[in-house]
Amino acid sequence: MTNVLWLQGGACSGNTMSFLNAEEPTVCDLISDFGINVLWHPSLGLELGNNLQTLLWDCILGKVPLDILVFEGSVVNAPNGTGEWNRFADRPMKDWLIDLAQAASFIVAVGDCATWGGIPAMSPNPSESQGLQFLKRQEGGFLGKDFRAKSGLPVINIPGCPAHPDWITQILVAIATGRIGDIALDELNRPQTFFNTFTQTGCTRNVHFAYKATTAEFGQRKGCLFYDLGCRGPMTHSSCNRILWNRVSSKTRAGMPCLGCTEPEFPFFDLKPGTVFKTQTVMGVPKELPPGVNKKDYALLTMVAKDAAPPWAEEDFFTV
Amino acid sequence: MGKQTLDISPVGRVEGDLDVRVEIADGYVVNAWTHAELFRGFEIILRGKDPQAGLIVTPRICGICGGSHLTSASWALDTAWGTEVPRNAILARNLGQIVETIQSIPRYFYGLFAIDLTNKNYRSSRFYDEAVRRFSAFTGKSYELGVTISAKPVEIYALLGGQWPHSSYMVPGGVMCAPTLTDITRAWAILEYFRTNWLEPVWLGCSLERYEEIQTYDDFMNWLDEDIKHRESDLGFYWRMGLDIGLDKYGAGVGRYVTWGYLAHEDRYQKPTIEGRNAAMIMKSGVYDSFTDTHTLMDQSFARENLTHSWYDEGTTDIHPSDRTTKPIANNTKDFDNAYSWASAVLHKDFGRLEAGPLARQLVAGGNHGESWQHHDGFILDVFKKMGGANIHVRQLARLHEIVKLYRQAEHCLREFKLNDPWYIKPTEKDGKGWGATEAARGALCHWVDIEGGKIKNYQVIAPGTWNIGPRDGQDKRGPIEEALVGTPIEDPTDPVEVGHVARSFDSCLVCTVHAHDAKTGEELARFRTA
Repeated sequence: MTNVLWLQGGACSGNTMSFLNAEEPTVCDLISDFGINVLWHPSLGLELGNNLQTLLWDCILGKVPLDILVFEGSVVNAPNGTGEWNRFADRPMKDWLIDLAQAASFIVAVGDCATWGGIPAMSPNPSESQGLQFLKRQEGGFLGKDFRAKSGLPVINIPGCPAHPDWITQILVAIATGRIGDIALDELNRPQTFFNTFTQTGCTRNVHFAYKATTAEFGQRKGCLFYDLGCRGPMTHSSCNRILWNRVSSKTRAGMPCLGCTEPEFPFFDLKPGTVFKTQTVMGVPKELPPGVNKKDYALLTMVAKDAAPPWAEEDFFTV
Repeated sequence: MGKQTLDISPVGRVEGDLDVRVEIADGYVVNAWTHAELFRGFEIILRGKDPQAGLIVTPRICGICGGSHLTSASWALDTAWGTEVPRNAILARNLGQIVETIQSIPRYFYGLFAIDLTNKNYRSSRFYDEAVRRFSAFTGKSYELGVTISAKPVEIYALLGGQWPHSSYMVPGGVMCAPTLTDITRAWAILEYFRTNWLEPVWLGCSLERYEEIQTYDDFMNWLDEDIKHRESDLGFYWRMGLDIGLDKYGAGVGRYVTWGYLAHEDRYQKPTIEGRNAAMIMKSGVYDSFTDTHTLMDQSFARENLTHSWYDEGTTDIHPSDRTTKPIANNTKDFDNAYSWASAVLHKDFGRLEAGPLARQLVAGGNHGESWQHHDGFILDVFKKMGGANIHVRQLARLHEIVKLYRQAEHCLREFKLNDPWYIKPTEKDGKGWGATEAARGALCHWVDIEGGKIKNYQVIAPGTWNIGPRDGQDKRGPIEEALVGTPIEDPTDPVEVGHVARSFDSCLVCTVHAHDAKTGEELARFRTA
């Protein structure tokens, strides 16, 4: 049995909701077929009695093995570093975290708030929120750069707002079945298997990206969202178009620009005026280019692509 | 769900931990205090940001009702910018909202509420063994099916918005998507799957058509007697067990109810205004006062907030939510005589404290106010009157009753889409004030936005949890959950599951911690989570 304790800090429960949508395995399968034992979860926990605090102390004292600590939501430090603005079981949540982090074999941060700080940490960050081991792209966060769980691993980051249910279940299963050694982490401690490719990888609009054909405004069945509507698909690491959402789609397939929510900078530009659903450009050229592409080559590619574009690239592509 | 929940008011109405303090004397709760224990400061974060920032930020107030926040945020901008919203977009927004709520019903019932029916306190009930078989967490037959199948309806949301939770596919002027025949066909198939694998065989034990014949409490009881399949369905079983264990005997609350109304009619709200909203909603707005048995329309101008008992430095007089400044005080020490919550006390300027949620919606649906074409349904109002007012059981029934009518509304949206018509009309951005509202699964939700100089000057949210969870107001009157807790019988003070039932019956979107105290000695008797 692999004991899992799931706690929430400055959270919206979006990751919990996402997790409950898991299909293969379902949350119930996870428990019955993969040997996961949920010690407690804010929505699913059974302790109707009193015992939550006892259970937490038992984990801290080693009486109950804490195999995996899952954290959802930001670590709230306000006011003035005390954490009193997020009390849980009569104690600042951050104090529980300090103790539980020492006891856990593995720690998994689920969603942007727990990984990088997320939306609560947006300027001016009134709740003084941090992620567990990062604040935005800066390593350190709440537990510090050098922190390692008992297994020797840093906090495993599963970002996204929310994280995809499969990303969560597969990491839990990997730990429970002794396969976590097969999983390589990237420089932000994200499992590479989900975060090495781009959101654009597998996007149904790729052919329009190639010929520089734009979706000029919403509600259209043609074009690529990168040129005008601020889509971050080419610059964002995720598997959203390989492992689809809710079995059926992804934001970019449905016509919504990717917001880059698996990257530490999300929400980008702190949502300053003029930055929402609008591509930031200089002289008509996107300010941000796909990683590894230099401006000069990009300009050349654009010229060639536009010249080579077939007429259908500008017509409705996905017809009724 | 979970609670988690959250919710939130303009400021700290957040999902997180709600503490409940109850005092018990002679086996009954004699006093209660609810307080929200997490502050993230969404209103503060939104100040100075892009006018459309609310479309991205507010769904993250609550991942449980994110689609409802998105709905409110987009209508608020539509009214501020004076947009035109095409018919298809109204239908696509409604469909997203509807499937999110349909998802929430089994997930809430099995995942959060019904688990309690397996509590040892009910061991003496003749229904107990069957309740354990059906409702035990993770392993119960109905629990496993219900929690798993609850993921299906939101696949329809993903067809429109790419994913659930947390898409922002609704924007001022319409929606981002332009579904094709394939999407519509898949959506129909998903609805049918949900109906034929759970809703009819497991939940109702009959066809939707048979269930829809139920108009009164007598009809409902006759339906129960009519067929063993009805009695043994999860709904029939739950109703019978609830009466057996006395869920109809406590949890009344404040006796007055509010809904903003929701689901804009696709032909009546294409030029959205704040003033024109009430007359354009399929499900009408209103306040039901059970003391005088009267229905009146609800309007955003009637809302007030009071911060006397909340951790904000904004005075102690009742103010309109759009006039709030959201100034948290650093020292949030619990002081039950003064400030003890991040939630505010929300009021109606004439009726005072109101309960929000499915019960409120259904009591209002039974009124004869509003427009003649609007949806009317007197069933829950009749049950309420026959039972002598509110209680846990009728509050649950109201929530569960909505699933069939929402299923029909989802069918309506799918039928009415005209795939070759527009989904979006590009609006002109401008300064101004807007207001948008809807009904989340758990009740009345609305957003006020004030745009000045091309950026957000003020953004305020009142969520259903705020109405229900709020602390005492300026007159020291208890909030709806606080009031509902008073009079609750407590069988076992070390395991007061009844308090859990009351708090959960509001589906308060908060993880609640309950502390039970002996009113005479002050000794703490028990503490437990309610979600």
